[in-house]
Amino acid sequence: MSGVKDEFWRWQEYHRIMPNIKWSSKDIITAGVDVGSVGSKAAIMVNGEAYAWGITRTGSNSPESAKKALDFALKDTGLSVGDLKFIVGTGYGRVNVPMANKAITEIACHAKGANYLWGPSVKTVLDVGGQDIKAIKIDETGRVVSFLMNDKCAAGTGRGMEVFADLLQIPIEDIGDISLKVEKEPDPVSCTCVAFAKTEAMGLLRKGWSKEKVLAAYTRAMAVRMANLINRVGLEKELVITGGQSKNIGIVSRIEVILGVKTLPSPKWRDGGLDPMVAGALGAASFGKALYEKAQKA
Amino acid sequence: MTKTVEKKFLPDVPKKEMDELRNTVKAASLKIIADNIERMKKADPHRPEAMKYFDDIANLFGQRQQEIQAEKEKGKKVIGYMCLFAPTELITAADAIPVRVNSGWYDTSKLGDRVVPVEVCPVIRSTIGAKMIELSPFLEQSDALISVLTCDGMTKLSEILGDTKAVWGMNIPRVKDSTQSLRFWNDEIKHMKTQIEQFTGNKINRKNLKEAIEISHRATKAFRRLQELRKGNPVIMGRDAMLVNQAYSWDDKKRWTEKTEALCAELEKRVERKDWVVSPDTPRVMVTGTPMFWPDNWKLPTLVEEGNPQGVIVADEQCSGERILNDPIGVDEWSMDDMLNAMSERYLMASTCPCFTSKDGNEDRINWLLNKVKEWKVQGVVYYVVRGCMLYAMEYTRVKKALDKINVPVYYLDTEYTREDVGQMKTRVEAFLEMLNARIDI
Repeated sequence: MSGVKDEFWRWQEYHRIMPNIKWSSKDIITAGVDVGSVGSKAAIMVNGEAYAWGITRTGSNSPESAKKALDFALKDTGLSVGDLKFIVGTGYGRVNVPMANKAITEIACHAKGANYLWGPSVKTVLDVGGQDIKAIKIDETGRVVSFLMNDKCAAGTGRGMEVFADLLQIPIEDIGDISLKVEKEPDPVSCTCVAFAKTEAMGLLRKGWSKEKVLAAYTRAMAVRMANLINRVGLEKELVITGGQSKNIGIVSRIEVILGVKTLPSPKWRDGGLDPMVAGALGAASFGKALYEKAQKA
Repeated sequence: MTKTVEKKFLPDVPKKEMDELRNTVKAASLKIIADNIERMKKADPHRPEAMKYFDDIANLFGQRQQEIQAEKEKGKKVIGYMCLFAPTELITAADAIPVRVNSGWYDTSKLGDRVVPVEVCPVIRSTIGAKMIELSPFLEQSDALISVLTCDGMTKLSEILGDTKAVWGMNIPRVKDSTQSLRFWNDEIKHMKTQIEQFTGNKINRKNLKEAIEISHRATKAFRRLQELRKGNPVIMGRDAMLVNQAYSWDDKKRWTEKTEALCAELEKRVERKDWVVSPDTPRVMVTGTPMFWPDNWKLPTLVEEGNPQGVIVADEQCSGERILNDPIGVDEWSMDDMLNAMSERYLMASTCPCFTSKDGNEDRINWLLNKVKEWKVQGVVYYVVRGCMLYAMEYTRVKKALDKINVPVYYLDTEYTREDVGQMKTRVEAFLEMLNARIDI
């Protein structure tokens, strides 16, 4: 019983098959492999519909992480890599996806994936990845119109949240709920740099702040940063959030308060629905279908 | 007997440390120069024959350094400059050698941090660092420097470099379109003429100044011929054209002109054969913003032209590129006064540097960009800024509005003098190119 949950930052790796989708060898089966800096995600689509996916932690080696994620997604589907008509690699490690037929940036793939998950009303996508955040404006077909990306810094990203989960000894899955358990929202921490914010947080804890309050102050600061990025790219409704942090209710609800808009609700991924964390991989698989069809015509 | 003057800024780097650092950075730089050229060759497997000359001249520690050294030994003076407002024709007329000394070395910007804070623009920090270890051949060969006080960085840089050699500041008016500004600048030019004459001991007269201006005219003609070739389907990679343009800053002007004309002749034949360097549906990109100095600061054009998808740079609006030679000096009478007036006008009025403002702000820059977009069929603009480059950063908003109006996407790309962010820059650049491709597909 002991020792298992010592790693508070460690989020659940999992894979899922959508029970309502069946495939045959005549179908166009494609895959998207999104090798991010923290998580590697792979998604399988059958005729452009989400069928299965797997989410794993990225290791030190991109090709291996890509393979691991794809194998995980294919688990129990009866499919093998050879059955896939087209594979698109994306994410930070996109050039290191050995089985990919093509590489496309995660910016285009998250745009496409958001369009798939939420439909044509989505105009602004905030993708909060492991080590960067991107605000993307898209059109009703899921095409990128403009985008902004934060600079090379873990502030306001999934990695930063992991650092805080460890520091405060709160399981990463609970971090959003707990950050909301404050009577009054405290002022945001002043440092957005993760290293400095950690020092600042330790000071606040010593001053007698509760874990909840410290977490609220940090989450608030991150949400402000993300909201700024959205404002700079130009907020247009509907707004959605993709990437691992879309599951952090503390972030999502604060962004909504700061910007004064509601985001479109996330699919119920815990109850067997689609997962906004795989938006990039789904977008990549969706591009895979289009590219396969284009190649067939040519 | 030389008196040692107390240095106001620069630390005394012990000779042994200086030599070690210089050797290390020089070795790294030679490798980067070779690597850049290798990649440019790879990008265009049947690269124009005429590029070979520019590949050689691109070695800052090679042929050109030796030529200048030989001239110096025969008694010629070398006059360096940082900003493009330095009236180089006066230098040429006085039988001295003009050479630009801004630094593109990433490694030396770290050394510059010992003298000024990291918030300062890396072009400035890198030039300071290069001076500290005596790395830059052309800066070291310069007997004096002309420093035009354009941005804050350049203004203080001239004081810092003043620790080691004569620096002549030129005070440039910030408001460009007024008669008093022009009069003031004309006086600065006249004063610089006297300064150069005294320093070189050579009189600048009607004949030698006319000759110098004509050398510039011929260079501008060759330059324009090259840019004209970039209007149509791509016949030369952007990096190649950018290197040619920038090499003018340190090359022999007459020879540069001949070699550029030869390149153009070769390219014109390719146009006749419809021998394109990349597929005509490759996204056409323009770069604007902070200057990108050879050799290290070549990462953006490399990422664009080696991207997946690939782009091609067809134009730029940078003082390290097309701004160098775009505008001829418009002389009517060839009297001394008329030539000096024409130079004043050319150096002040034609510039689109964001250090200027006027009744309509820096509208000249907006017009340049809009014209380039239209004539060169630019499909997307990368607005390139290094951190600390305040003027370019601040002018972005206006440029974006102007480009939004004509529905041309612009991407703001901020970076530093470092290789560490290349991976992240690659994602940004490629996402922008994908976006342009998606637009072209429509």
